[in-house]
Amino acid sequence: MAGLPRRILKETQRLIQEPVPGISAVPDENNGRYFHVVIKGPAESPYHSGMFQLELFLPEEYPMSAPKVRFMTKIYHPNIDKLGRICLDILKEKWSPALQIRTVLLSIQALLSAPNPDDPLSNDVAEQWKANEQLALETAKEWTQKYAKDKKNNIQ
Amino acid sequence: MDDDEDEFDTSYYYDNNDDLDLEKPKKSDDPEYFEYELLKIEDVERMLNEEVEALCTSLKIAPSLAKMLLHAHGWRRSQIIERHQMNAEKFLVESRIVADKKNISQVQFIFSYGGGDRPGCFLLQEVITGTTHTCSICVRELSKSEFQSLSCHHIFCNECWDMHFGIQISKGLTTGIECMGSDCKLLVPEDFICSILKDPSSREKYFKFSFSDLIDSHSQLRFCPGPNCSIVVRAKEPKSKRVECKSCKSTFCFRCGIDYHAPTDCDTIKKWLMKCADDSETANYISANTKDCPKCHVCIEKNGGCNHMQCSKCKSDFCWMCLGEWKTHGSEYYECSRFKENPNIANESVHVQAREALKKYLFYYERWENHAKSLTLEEQTLKNITTRIEEKVMNNEGTWIAWQYLLKAADLLKKCRYSLQYTYPYAYYLDRGGRKELFEYQQAQLEAEVENLSWKVERAEISDTGELENLMDIAEKRRLTLLKDFLEV
Repeated sequence: MAGLPRRILKETQRLIQEPVPGISAVPDENNGRYFHVVIKGPAESPYHSGMFQLELFLPEEYPMSAPKVRFMTKIYHPNIDKLGRICLDILKEKWSPALQIRTVLLSIQALLSAPNPDDPLSNDVAEQWKANEQLALETAKEWTQKYAKDKKNNIQ
Repeated sequence: MDDDEDEFDTSYYYDNNDDLDLEKPKKSDDPEYFEYELLKIEDVERMLNEEVEALCTSLKIAPSLAKMLLHAHGWRRSQIIERHQMNAEKFLVESRIVADKKNISQVQFIFSYGGGDRPGCFLLQEVITGTTHTCSICVRELSKSEFQSLSCHHIFCNECWDMHFGIQISKGLTTGIECMGSDCKLLVPEDFICSILKDPSSREKYFKFSFSDLIDSHSQLRFCPGPNCSIVVRAKEPKSKRVECKSCKSTFCFRCGIDYHAPTDCDTIKKWLMKCADDSETANYISANTKDCPKCHVCIEKNGGCNHMQCSKCKSDFCWMCLGEWKTHGSEYYECSRFKENPNIANESVHVQAREALKKYLFYYERWENHAKSLTLEEQTLKNITTRIEEKVMNNEGTWIAWQYLLKAADLLKKCRYSLQYTYPYAYYLDRGGRKELFEYQQAQLEAEVENLSWKVERAEISDTGELENLMDIAEKRRLTLLKDFLEV
């Protein structure tokens, strides 16, 4: 992992030494800027007991530019589209170099606990969420059982 | 000149009409009159600097601060001075120029490399006590002199600031660059950026983009939208009036910068253009480029701007818009421009209402699009006229100077057609009632005159000068009457 900025090394070190509860982030063997992330579905959310795989990439300009994060596990969520892209302000216009990988992952975990259908990325999911929340929650639970239990179901 | 008497008659009639009026309408008469000046970049820079200096002296503040205030408050100096005098600190905080004191002592630093996830409190005095400090962004320990912060006390090393500015500028941001602290909205002043930013190409971009930001924030100024044109227009009042750039010849609306659109206002034309962009596929499909002759059903392609069509096969005269007989299109009965709404629409089903709404839109769209097409065809007409004049002069039918009236007529025709095109979005959004009826009446009158003029321009002989000038005068008067009554600025 030579050639990586001190900032990235420090962050990686701490992510491994003091992991965030419910989140694991491991750098790729061949690329220190690429992280394999697993987020545990928060309790009291329809994603409970699911293990969601994500990929996180630190671009060349990091930390001046936000990390790129994507869900690899299929998930039924109004702010996540079918390609796994996430609608989260701190990944876009609210990014600040003072934020870190762990703050980003914590925010994504929080997004699973509190979906926001008023700022949707996936329109049909958001509409379903607003029209019949109960049914949407059921679907989210079903998808969690179907896709977030087995690694083979990852989005490619 | 085969009929002397006729020629005499018309010219006599026309000498009474002040046709200078046509070229340069008086200030009070012309609803399109607009005072503006075209400035070069240097002039604008000088002008803006003077405004900045004036604010500096009255508020006794630094130029970079004055510039930020002017930019943030649309260059309304008296308002800025007033608010500054009322409560300077509050005003500067609201303008995101100075940090709120309340927040400084309790700035929450999420970024901490030790001690759990609880964000640590950050105090400048507490942190930089020794000779070195660790930058919270690049995590390097550097000498104290390598660090800077704004009034919010979010302290970072110069190298990180430099990178931050470079990235923001490459995204097109300049006057809007904020502090790097998370959730910190404080704006970074120009002199702070200039003292740190190293890369020459980023610096150049910064000056270029921030200058255009300043112009955009100034209600009296607008960049000419012409490609690669660097002229800036200045007008005392930011009205939606026609501006012509002498340098690149583009004409546009001063207020919104898109193509001039009288009598429609800026918001309406935007709405209309968006609607057209959304629905154009359907509309294009429905209003195809060709129509069949209503009598002999031969397929006809429109090749001139005039709506008065004459079938080359059966010689019948008809109207391109309604396919009705042209005879019925005298000015009093010209109704092609008027959409007839179904009076019982409220009682119909949703389905029928939707179909009726589409019908209404297509009605206006077709006419709007038709004038747009005619306008481009009028360009062709202009070329044809030039070659025709050359031929006529070669054949000794009138002198070249005498024929110039035809070019003037074609030019006026373009102007009238242009205004007419922009009457359709206006009519589309106008509520039913007396005002709409009046508008559509005047629109129909202008339509009729424009068609008369268009027909004549394509066929004029040298002996028609008088008649054509008469038509020109009427058409322009109709156009001005309509604009005078309906152009709201």
